[in-house]
Amino acid sequence: MRAHRTLAVSLTLALMLAAPTAAVAAKRLIIGGSTSVLPLQQKLAAAYHRQFPHIPEPKVEGGQSDIGIAGAASGRFDIGDSSRDPLSTDPKGLVFTKIARDGICVITNDKNPVKNFAQTTIQGIFSGSVRDWSEVEGSTQTGPIELFDRSSASGTQDAFQNIFMGEDLRISPAASAEDSNGEEQNAVSASPGAIGFVSFAYTAGVNAAAYQGVACSLRNARSGQYGGVRNFWMVTKGGPKGEAAKYIAWVTSGSKTTKNIINSNWIAVH
Amino acid sequence: MSAEAYPPTIPPAAPPNPLEAHRQRHAAQLAGHLKEAARDRRVELALGTLAAGTLALIAAMLVTVLVNGWPSFAANGLGWFGNGGDPVTQFRAMQTGTALPGHPLLYFSAWPLIWGTLLSTIGAVAIALVVSTLAAIFITEFAPVPVRRVLEPVVRLLAGVPSVIYGLVGLLLIAPWVEGLISTQRKEAVQYVVQLSGEGLLTATLVLTVMILPIMIALTSGALAAVPSAWREGSVALGVNRWRTIWRVSVRAARPAIVSATVLGTARALGEAIMLAMLGGGRPWAPNPLDGLTFFFEPIQPLAASIVKEFGDNPNTPIGHTVYAFGALLLFSAALLSLAGWAVRQPLKRYGIGI
Repeated sequence: MRAHRTLAVSLTLALMLAAPTAAVAAKRLIIGGSTSVLPLQQKLAAAYHRQFPHIPEPKVEGGQSDIGIAGAASGRFDIGDSSRDPLSTDPKGLVFTKIARDGICVITNDKNPVKNFAQTTIQGIFSGSVRDWSEVEGSTQTGPIELFDRSSASGTQDAFQNIFMGEDLRISPAASAEDSNGEEQNAVSASPGAIGFVSFAYTAGVNAAAYQGVACSLRNARSGQYGGVRNFWMVTKGGPKGEAAKYIAWVTSGSKTTKNIINSNWIAVH
Repeated sequence: MSAEAYPPTIPPAAPPNPLEAHRQRHAAQLAGHLKEAARDRRVELALGTLAAGTLALIAAMLVTVLVNGWPSFAANGLGWFGNGGDPVTQFRAMQTGTALPGHPLLYFSAWPLIWGTLLSTIGAVAIALVVSTLAAIFITEFAPVPVRRVLEPVVRLLAGVPSVIYGLVGLLLIAPWVEGLISTQRKEAVQYVVQLSGEGLLTATLVLTVMILPIMIALTSGALAAVPSAWREGSVALGVNRWRTIWRVSVRAARPAIVSATVLGTARALGEAIMLAMLGGGRPWAPNPLDGLTFFFEPIQPLAASIVKEFGDNPNTPIGHTVYAFGALLLFSAALLSLAGWAVRQPLKRYGIGI
C-alpha cells in the first residue's frame, strides 16, 4: 500500500511538473530533408529563435530531398526541405514554397585544380566515356578519374542531371554514390583523382571549377551568368498551417534578417 | 439520544472453545491464501499479456516485412539471388518506372549485395573471434588488477558507441590511410570496370571488426572469469603449465559462451547499416577474390546498408518492395543464425559454463 502511494504521488508530481511547460510552450517544428538546404535552414532557424525567443528553435535534420518530401507527406517532418523541383512521382497534396536559389559547383581535388569545364567535358566524364585525366585538358593529374555521384534520394543529383547532363545522358553507374553534400566534399578532398558536384556552401577545401567559362561564384550565380543554379523549396502537406505557416511566412517575408542570411551564400528570391 | 452509550460498545465475543478457535484461524489462513492466489493470477495475467504483446509485435513485424517484400521475390524467382546485372541500373529502372528491356519492372539480382554482406560479416567475425578470445584471456588471466579494473568498463563503454561515430572515424582516419595503400597502377588496372578508393571492403571490414569486438570481449571475459578456480587449480596441480591450462581448461570450458558471443557479433555485423553505407564505397559490387590484392579495395554495399541508401519511405513502389525483400532476407538470416548458434552450443554444454 505504501509502495503504491509513493508511486502514485511521484507520478503525479512528475506529470504536474511536465504539464505546464508542455502547455505553455509552442510546438517545436521538425524540419528535415535536403542536405543542400541544411546549412541555410539551420541559420534561418537560429535567427528565427533569436527574433522570437518564446518560440522554440525548429529542429533541422538532413536525409536528402526525397526523404524530406516523403517525410512532409507522411507527417514525419512538419516541413520538408527539397533542393529539386517537384516531380510527377512525388506524393500528392504537397505544396512547395520557394525560399531561395542555390548554385551547384563541379569540384575536383585541390591537387588537380582544373580551371574550367565545358558541358561536353562534364557529360563525357560523368557518363563514363572519358575515363582518364590525361584526356581532360587543364588537368594536372594523370590517372583514372574517380567519379563521385550522389545516391538516388538526392535533390542535388536531380538538379545536376537536369542542368549539366541533360535529358539523354545518365551518370555512370560505376560512380561511388555518397549520401550527403558533406560526404561528397570529404570524398573529393581525400582523393587526388576525384571529381564530384556539391551545393555552393560545401566548396571549402576543394577546387570549385568554372563551368562553360563562368566561375562558380555567388556573384555569377546571382547575375544569372552561371548556368548551374536551382531552386530551394520548403514542402508542406497541403497549405502551411499553424507554427509551420508562421515560420514559412517569416522566411519568405523578405525582411532584412532573412535577406542577409540567404544572401550570404545563396540567392534570395523574395 | 437514546440512553445507549456512544461509541456503541461491542459485546465481547463469547470465549471460543479451542476447536472453534482452531477452525477460525484455519479459515483466516485459507482466506489469506485465496487472496494471494487471486493476486498471483492477476499478476500472471498482466505479465502474460505483456509477453504475448511483445510476441504479437514481433509477429506483426515479420508479417509486414514478408508481405511487402513478396512481390519482389515473386517477380524474380530464384534469380533474385543470382548475378543478373548491375544493381544500380536495376534501381534506376525501378525509380524511373521504365523496365529494362526483356525484364519486368521489379527485376533485381541481389548477388553483389549478398556477397558483400557475406564477405564483410564473415571477415569481421573471423578476425574479431581471434582478437576477442585473446583479449579476454589477457583481461582475465594476465592483466594486473588495476589494468583490469580500467579495461573492463572501457570495453563495455565501447559497446555503446553509435555506429555513426564509427563511420565518421573511418571516413576521417582509416579511409585516407587505405587510400594511400592503393597505387595508381592498381587503380588503372581496373579503371574500366570498377573504381578503387579508400572506402571499400578492407576499410568496412576493419571498422566492423572494431564495432563487434567490445560485446564479444565482454561476453568471453565474463565466461572465462566464471570458470571454477578448482578446475584451474587442479590442472596446475597436475603439472600443466599456465598457457596450456588457460587454453585446455578455461577456454574449453567457456566454449558455449564463445559461441554465444560469436552469434551476437555476427548478428550485429549483419545488421550494421549506417557505418557500412558510409564506408562501403557507394557502389553495389561483388569483389572478386581472384583479383589478388585489389580484392580488398573493391567497393561493397551489404544488404542493411542498401536498405539505408535506397529506401524512400513508400513500401508500395517497386523500390519499396525490393528493399523489404532485403529486410526479409536479413530476418531469415538472423533466424538461421540463432538456430545455428543453439545447435552448435548443444554438444558443448555438457562440460561448459554456458550462458
